[in-house]
Amino acid sequence: MKKIHIVILVIVAAGISIIAASFGQFSSYQTFETASKEPGKKLYVIGFLQKDKEMQYDPKKDPNHFIFYAKDKQGNINKVIFNGEKPRDIEKSEQIVMMGYEEGGSFHCSRIQMKCPSKYKKDMVAEGNNG
Amino acid sequence: MDTQFIGEHLRPGQLGHFFVITSFVASMFSAFSYFMAVRTEQKDPLASRSWLLFGRGGFVLHTATIISVFVSLFYIIENHLFEYHYAWEHSSLSLPGKYLLACFWEGQEGSFMLWTFWHCMLGLVVMRTAKGLETRTMAIIAAVQVCLCTMIIGIYLGPDIQLGKTPFALLRNVMRDAPIFSSPNYMSFVQDGNGLNVSLRNYWMVIHPPVLFLGFASTLIPFAYCIAALWKGEFQTFIKPTLAWSLFNGAVLGTGIMMGGAWAYESLNFGGYWAWDPVENASLVPWLVLIAGLHTLLVYKATGRALTLTLVLLLLTHLLVWYSTFLTRTGILGKTSVHAFTGDGKALTYHLLIVIGLLLLLTIAMLIRRWRGLPRIKTEEETLSREFWMFIGSVILFLASIQIAISTSIPVWSPLAKWISGKDFAPPTDPMLHYNNIQVWVAIIIGILSASVLYMKFKNSDAKTLGKRLGLTALIGAVMAAGIGYSQRITTWQYDIMLFAACFGIVANIYYGIIVQKAKFKNLGPSVAHLGFAMVLLGILLSSYNKHAISYNITGEIFNPGKKTAEENAKENRENEILFHGVPVAMGDFIATYEGDSESITGKDRIDYYKVSFERKDSNSNKVLDRFVLYPDAFINSKGQGVLTVNPSTKHFWNYDIFTYINGFTPDKGRIDTMSYQSHIFHNPGDTAHLQNGYMVFMGLNREINDKRYIPKDSDLAISAKLMVYDSSTRKSTELNPLYILRDKQYVVNVEDTLPNMNLYARFESIVVKSQDSVSTEIMIKQTDPKDDFIVLKALVFPFINVLWLGVIVMVLGFFISLGNLLGRQLSKG
Repeated sequence: MKKIHIVILVIVAAGISIIAASFGQFSSYQTFETASKEPGKKLYVIGFLQKDKEMQYDPKKDPNHFIFYAKDKQGNINKVIFNGEKPRDIEKSEQIVMMGYEEGGSFHCSRIQMKCPSKYKKDMVAEGNNG
Repeated sequence: MDTQFIGEHLRPGQLGHFFVITSFVASMFSAFSYFMAVRTEQKDPLASRSWLLFGRGGFVLHTATIISVFVSLFYIIENHLFEYHYAWEHSSLSLPGKYLLACFWEGQEGSFMLWTFWHCMLGLVVMRTAKGLETRTMAIIAAVQVCLCTMIIGIYLGPDIQLGKTPFALLRNVMRDAPIFSSPNYMSFVQDGNGLNVSLRNYWMVIHPPVLFLGFASTLIPFAYCIAALWKGEFQTFIKPTLAWSLFNGAVLGTGIMMGGAWAYESLNFGGYWAWDPVENASLVPWLVLIAGLHTLLVYKATGRALTLTLVLLLLTHLLVWYSTFLTRTGILGKTSVHAFTGDGKALTYHLLIVIGLLLLLTIAMLIRRWRGLPRIKTEEETLSREFWMFIGSVILFLASIQIAISTSIPVWSPLAKWISGKDFAPPTDPMLHYNNIQVWVAIIIGILSASVLYMKFKNSDAKTLGKRLGLTALIGAVMAAGIGYSQRITTWQYDIMLFAACFGIVANIYYGIIVQKAKFKNLGPSVAHLGFAMVLLGILLSSYNKHAISYNITGEIFNPGKKTAEENAKENRENEILFHGVPVAMGDFIATYEGDSESITGKDRIDYYKVSFERKDSNSNKVLDRFVLYPDAFINSKGQGVLTVNPSTKHFWNYDIFTYINGFTPDKGRIDTMSYQSHIFHNPGDTAHLQNGYMVFMGLNREINDKRYIPKDSDLAISAKLMVYDSSTRKSTELNPLYILRDKQYVVNVEDTLPNMNLYARFESIVVKSQDSVSTEIMIKQTDPKDDFIVLKALVFPFINVLWLGVIVMVLGFFISLGNLLGRQLSKG
């Protein structure tokens, strides 16, 4: 075997193991219920805005604090605290993907992506806050 | 009976559709003719020649009709023919003329057309220059054009299966179910189009897509040459043209990608130029593979080694462009990308999968057919040879692109993974950290290789000279890195190594260019490109590592590999700051003040510009060192029920940028008139009135009026009041002079005076003279509550971002120097 083949083999093996190890960093889509079993762990929850419940956002008090209620795919309703400005047009969203963690009965989230109905499809996905 | 519709212009669409079909047929004819020219090459050169001419004719016709399709669609958009779905969807009457081109490629069909168009242009060049390889390369190019034409042909294969989407579809056919389209005069209701997405309304949208698509399109040419070489079984003549096209491709695609970054940075509110977003990755991956292939091709050219890997990489580059089209166009990324691409549903998904499958099949078949016969060299490379390390560098680039591709493709493979493991895979919760942690090592290795590889010679190098030169430049690089690392407080060790790699790259390539190559311009290509690459690394590191929100602090978060609790991260994410009108707020070294807003109305859409002033003062002398004003804006579309879109505003300094954008503002704009005037009576000079944020002192009356706002008349009795207003937040006093004018002894004219900083309006209402000593002056004061007028602002600082932009320009320049040198040599040889 040539020297270069050995070197390449080592590099490829290292590369594959790094990539394989990085799989552990991938998150998963959960529900509020499974999220509450692992409090403090960051994950994604797919849900829907509860329009009949109150939304709280008072930028005068704190521009980084937005509270709303969301229903997940299992039908559980949970309070969500978002550390950022109220995403524009969240009222029109038909689905929201929330990234955050469950703690003390509410979901603390630092990123929101929304899916809006096709009428507003140009604003289909919006990001709340980088995190 | 069919309804006769009134007010439609059907001719341009019919013509356009006719051109699309002709174009499709012409590309098929061209591909077939070129293919026949190859088949008859040996047996019947005369027939081969005529097939070749047929192929050329077909391709020219194909090109001409594609241009006609372009013209037809442009005619429809320019004349606002909203009976066409494409014009209705992407343009509007109020859209400024310069964006008409932009709405051309906003949609799926338009961007496929742009891609087709560039293939035509490049194909014409190949036709003229490919000589002995013309028949084979052009057969491939024309065949790919056939595939692309099916994307815009829009014909029905069955009642429900539509092949491609035509840009000439009529609105009434696309929205067949809407009741208004059953009325013959529906056109009188369709007055205006949807308009271009506001965040796309800037000059980047006009120039970025053509450049990026030229970059995508030019991957076809190395692909075609590689297939042609495999087809012919001859691996010498394809080297030079493939090298030239790969250099061109690397330069254009690199420019296109970084233009996207610059666009995101300048005018979108992603908060940066690179976010490892799937759509960005989808164009980066082909570029990385292309660069790897370009380097192995150089190895093959110089030593005859690495042909197999070269072919694999360059063939893969074009396939990856198709794959990235699949990722970004079918909506499969919907959940994971911030880019608002919409899926065209299953039809496009299958359509693209079939095309990718065909191309992949062709590639694999060609490779297998020639695999055993590919020229290989049995001897070993020297460890100190250029080819040894270039080969390793290419493999690492390739692995890096695989990592990015796997993480980006989560939505593609997650259904399978769920089926196997039961886990519903989602992207990492912190994608930036995920990619950065891995790719920093790629940056380090590639940085060091690109610094040192030029010092090595092909075949073998003199260890002594090599050691001396590399030792010296590495030492200077290390000193430079230490200085920058210390002053910029780069404390994460991985990034210190990357900093060294970047500095080493800069020093080594400058030294190489000037000392070793004696600055001979035509040879400078590689060292200039490598220098640019090292500068890009340095720019990325400096601007991103110390990127921070001055509206709150998040320094180093995305680079900190240490595990933090979610709460800590959440706290650091609080980047928004509220600014009340006229109230200064500390932001980093600056004092920021929201000074007010102004509106500009273009057509029916309203844009609000918010004026925010920034001041930096010397803490000892209180002298103002810097002062500038930013105008981030917010845009309210008249159609989307008040959908708000914002554009950031950035102040560029030579060593850093301040980047601001609006995240919210006072909901109700009618606020000023809701406050009413209140009366204050002043008797003597020195009387005061309290204000919300200070006070007002009455200084006396004045009959001598020297005021631009007042043109005296003989019959006037005019008096001005002298009011000193003290603002307790700025600790400044301002004089106000409202006027009271009794004209013709009959009627009163009040000239108000205002103090915008305090939202203060003062009106000299009346004057009552009781005696010589007792004069009461009535001043009406209105002050709007500053708490009623605010904006929510995010302000970020990007240090040394100009190093990045400059690096990109230098790198692209390097590509073009190499290309010029290569073409120059070819020309001089005849």
